[in-house]
Amino acid sequence: MAGLKIENIAKRFADVDVLKGVSLNIADGEFVSLVGPSGCGKSTLLRIIAGLEEQSEGDIHIGGKSVAGRRAADRNLSMVFQSYALYPHLTVLENIAVPLKMRRLNGWQRMPFLGRFMPGARRLVNDIDAEISQAANMLEIAHLLDRKPGQLSGGQRQRVALGRALVRNPAAFLLDEPLSNLDAKLRVQTRAEIAQLHRRLEATFIYVTHDQVEAMTMSDRIAVMMGGRILQCATPDVIYEDPDTIEVAEFIGSPKINILPVRCEAGGRLAFFDQTLDLRVTERINGAVSLGLRPEALQLCSENPVFQGTVAHTENLGAELYVQVGIPGLEGRIVVRADAARRADLGIGTLVGLRFDLARALVFDGQGQRVRCIETRATASSHEVA
Amino acid sequence: MAMTECSCTPATTTALSAQRQEGRAAWSLTAPALVLMFVILLVPVLVAGFLSFTNYSLGNNGFDWVGTKNYEKLFTRSTYEKMFVATFTYVVTVVPISVGFGLGAALLINSLGRFREVYKTIYFLPVMATLLAMAIVWEFMLHPSIGMVNHVLEMSCGTLLEVIPFIANGCVDRFPLWLGDPDYAIWVVCFIGVWQGFGFNMVLYLAGLTSVHRELYHAAEMDGAKSGWERFRLVTWPALGPTTVFVVTISCIRAFQAFDTIEAFWPQGGGPNKSAYVMMFAIFEKGVQQNLIGIGSAITMLFLAFVMFLTLIQRWLVERKVHYG
Repeated sequence: MAGLKIENIAKRFADVDVLKGVSLNIADGEFVSLVGPSGCGKSTLLRIIAGLEEQSEGDIHIGGKSVAGRRAADRNLSMVFQSYALYPHLTVLENIAVPLKMRRLNGWQRMPFLGRFMPGARRLVNDIDAEISQAANMLEIAHLLDRKPGQLSGGQRQRVALGRALVRNPAAFLLDEPLSNLDAKLRVQTRAEIAQLHRRLEATFIYVTHDQVEAMTMSDRIAVMMGGRILQCATPDVIYEDPDTIEVAEFIGSPKINILPVRCEAGGRLAFFDQTLDLRVTERINGAVSLGLRPEALQLCSENPVFQGTVAHTENLGAELYVQVGIPGLEGRIVVRADAARRADLGIGTLVGLRFDLARALVFDGQGQRVRCIETRATASSHEVA
Repeated sequence: MAMTECSCTPATTTALSAQRQEGRAAWSLTAPALVLMFVILLVPVLVAGFLSFTNYSLGNNGFDWVGTKNYEKLFTRSTYEKMFVATFTYVVTVVPISVGFGLGAALLINSLGRFREVYKTIYFLPVMATLLAMAIVWEFMLHPSIGMVNHVLEMSCGTLLEVIPFIANGCVDRFPLWLGDPDYAIWVVCFIGVWQGFGFNMVLYLAGLTSVHRELYHAAEMDGAKSGWERFRLVTWPALGPTTVFVVTISCIRAFQAFDTIEAFWPQGGGPNKSAYVMMFAIFEKGVQQNLIGIGSAITMLFLAFVMFLTLIQRWLVERKVHYG
């Protein structure tokens, strides 16, 4: 087990910059997710860490030592691939045995047929079998050891791929979208199992996914990547509640955060259309300002609403209800989380009032950077207009 | 009771007639294929099988039933012993070498970035060329006195290459007659067979290589397979299993069918001392040139048996071993 240090990694394919100077420190035993939309460079970064691809610039340290110029096989990392990449001609047992045999047996002992008669081979193979059955028991695949990958279901193959990765105690585990080929139900189950496995092994995990739910539920820290850069790397709570940029705020969270165009008036007061809000920006900013409001930061109300609109669509998820509200003059709709019990009152076209929790409002400047210097103050004017 | 019978009988009859109609349509659609298969595949085989027990000659009004006499000849006469030796020498030499070279060339070409198409075309040229024409070119090259091959070999006389016994002997005495020498004739035919055939295997292997999952190589690398040989053994070779079975079967059948080189080199008689008297040539000589349909049919049946045997092995292997479903 070891920590990783990624220093200023850049990668260019022909004239396309895939990674533009990525730095990240991963502590020993930490679970870090690299999350971002497809094409953001997250898989490339993982493959560079693994050594399957070479970086154009930068360096990687594993356990304090630089691995520059060291090939993938010598980096002592395990990887779980999106397609699982199991050897189709080998049984589950043989698949899991491959990394151990490659490392512990010499060329003579690995020979087909004759290998087992080489001096020392029998003892080593017995050790390997013992370790495999231990790993198989942990992953509950002991009953599948004699089967070929073609005879397994997607979930079982996924476990075998995990087994092959964890059987040899690597410095870190690299997982490249390992759940994307599973159905929704199995994904939820496996998610919990991988998190448990991480707690049990206390190993370093680097997990690539485009699914923000996976990242939020499993990770110690999330690195949100976009356009070849890490926009923010922090704990799931911070990423969700306190994003640094509008891209991070928009990428994380489902349903998506509501972004309202607001104006910055004299004195830093923010105004939505012709209505002044109880928010004041205390630093000087130029250009347009956006206000980010999570669906749960908004409430439906009948008295003193900040703005009003009509219900355009409702999504009932059972425990909660997402109401899409159309505001006159605003492109797109505002999504509000409401109590499922209010379903009956919220027919399409109902006029509703909305207000929001000032403390949870996120303000972004014209470049999409977060503006943290804001003041909340209740004034009489907004009430009058409402 | 009577009521229900009455009400259900028409329904049953319509269902039955619909079924019958469907059956008729199915038969009428399969019939052309069945008839063609029967007429142009099965009937000739059955006729050949029947004739192999007779002494029939084309143009004769009748024939005598000779029993297994034709087959007895095949297994007792020295000419046919030579035929079996030549045929099996050819198959056993050409198949492994052309499969091996095909695989090697495919792997090399597959690892190339540029010039892939150029190499592919060059190696495939002998496959596309007419073997009969190519055989005439080879005949010139292998001519004992004016041929290019012996000229080149003579150039090595007096150089360091003379440490090789073959060249030393050639310089002292003379270089082989190639096509005229019973010791060399079949090997020259084998060489041309490999030269002509491996490009075809290469193309099949190149197609097979495209189906190898790239991520498996990365998995092998992560698992510690450092050398190219390890990765080949762990990923490439198993993935090429189905291709190999197909390539070997096709090569075997093609090797059994070797004919045009021998016909071009030695139109009368199948090589010096019948050393290159392969099966296909024997069928041609007996059945066509000498109009001995009976014995020709017997060799044909034997040939069919070999090919059938190979096909069965292939089917068995394919189902048993190389598909990892």
